[in-house]
Amino acid sequence: MFRFLFKKEERVKSLIYEYMDTLKLSQASFAEAIGHCLGGECRENLDFLIQQTHKFESKADDIREEIKAMMYGKALIPDSRGDVMGLLEAVDNIPHLFERVLYMIQTQKLDIPDFLVLDIRELVRISLECCDLVFKQMTALFEKQQSIRSLVATIDTNESHCDHIERRIITRIFDSHLDPFLKLQVKDLVVQIGEISDQADRVSRRINIISMKRRV
Amino acid sequence: MVSLLGGIFLGWSLGANDASNVFGAAVASRMLKFWTAAILASVFVLVGAVVSGQAGIETLKGLTRLDLEQAIISSVAAAITVTIMTILGLPVSTSQSVVGAILGIGILNNQLNLSGLVKVVACWIGTPVGGAITGILAYYALGAIYNRMALNLFDSDMLLRTCLVIAGSYGAYTLGANNVANVTAVFVGAELIGILSAALIGGASIALGILTFSRPVMETVGRKLVRLDPFSSLVVVLSMGITTHVYTLIGVPVSTSQAVVGGVLGVGIVKGVNTVSRKTLYNIILAWCLTPVVACFFSLAISFLLHLRYMPPN
Repeated sequence: MFRFLFKKEERVKSLIYEYMDTLKLSQASFAEAIGHCLGGECRENLDFLIQQTHKFESKADDIREEIKAMMYGKALIPDSRGDVMGLLEAVDNIPHLFERVLYMIQTQKLDIPDFLVLDIRELVRISLECCDLVFKQMTALFEKQQSIRSLVATIDTNESHCDHIERRIITRIFDSHLDPFLKLQVKDLVVQIGEISDQADRVSRRINIISMKRRV
Repeated sequence: MVSLLGGIFLGWSLGANDASNVFGAAVASRMLKFWTAAILASVFVLVGAVVSGQAGIETLKGLTRLDLEQAIISSVAAAITVTIMTILGLPVSTSQSVVGAILGIGILNNQLNLSGLVKVVACWIGTPVGGAITGILAYYALGAIYNRMALNLFDSDMLLRTCLVIAGSYGAYTLGANNVANVTAVFVGAELIGILSAALIGGASIALGILTFSRPVMETVGRKLVRLDPFSSLVVVLSMGITTHVYTLIGVPVSTSQAVVGGVLGVGIVKGVNTVSRKTLYNIILAWCLTPVVACFFSLAISFLLHLRYMPPN
């Protein structure tokens, strides 16, 4: 009814959606890049896709700064300001992880051994599914409160599954006859990919707390 | 008009101090700009004083019969008491100091409306208690509605801000309606002005206090309320407004600060947390007991001093 009095809030809301769209682009670019690596076409388009991922991540940072500036310009009540800023900072770690994984592959010129491809593909798929669910949960927080709790449970299950796959891959790496140096490199890469679902889980729990705080 | 200056000063200090009870939380947390809050509060205080301020004025002027000199004395005594208690850092009630000062004059005149006085004191006891009960009931009732609405973050934010502005404006209305009697009732008793003029002048002086000097108080006192979550702040402001409104209908000026503390206590009871420290409670009880006594003393002392006559030795 009084929406016309809250132009700043409406602007913050639309910026948050813009931010989420940019993160989705960064995620899509990451998925494509990692798909190239796992498909053995690693060097062909990788540099371009890494650049794309970085570009979207950097754009997301700019939008986040704009949101921050608007909020400290007295949009939202202080409680909500803190919650939204904390949430965006937590979400922002996800594209950083995308970048880190891709930079590891690029700078260390990593070739993923064939016997690990299927498992890593599965790990990436479920991790990205966690990210999709986090975006869905954020939309629920900003649009309608329903389904936030059930999404926390799904993300938690996926995260446990990712942990399980991560342990399995690391065991297979150290059971193999790969060069010890390569073993450590690939293990680090797998740990970083596994961190994506861990971060998604942390964000999901934070969203749940923010939603619960809005119940009396 | 000069005779009214004491009352106007009292109204000014009342406005400067008590506006924080209605819009302090919103301004200190930057939910609302100071000037928006100050203008809303001033307008609603004036409307409240003119529309619903008569009952309180009738009660206070009926406590004792005053002539113009005594009206000025009681209003100056009340103003001095408020100033001293504020300097001492005690949560002073203007209503209590005014009644204390009138009581002093009543003692001098040997004429007191005891039934009226008992009604006033009973209402003083009832203010924090009423604030707490209203706070508890409002928390449960509004909480049930709020939870049922299942609002998203932005809608919840907009709703709370809108409600805080509405509750604050309502609080300002009841502040004007209830406390205008403190400012000008004695002058109605002394037959210097009529009830409508008293409500207008009193309301305008409170509004002046809000517009000119309430900012620092709003920003510091308001922080005490901001420590509560936004929903609890809304409940506290609303319970203060309702409690003060009830006493306005009864026709007894009460302290909005004490109603706020009652509301904060009520929210604390519902949430099972300590929202008011033991020191704050101690200060409130101390001020509650001291204010009328000190005002009564000043009223007697000023009257005594004014009637001292030099007697040349024979």
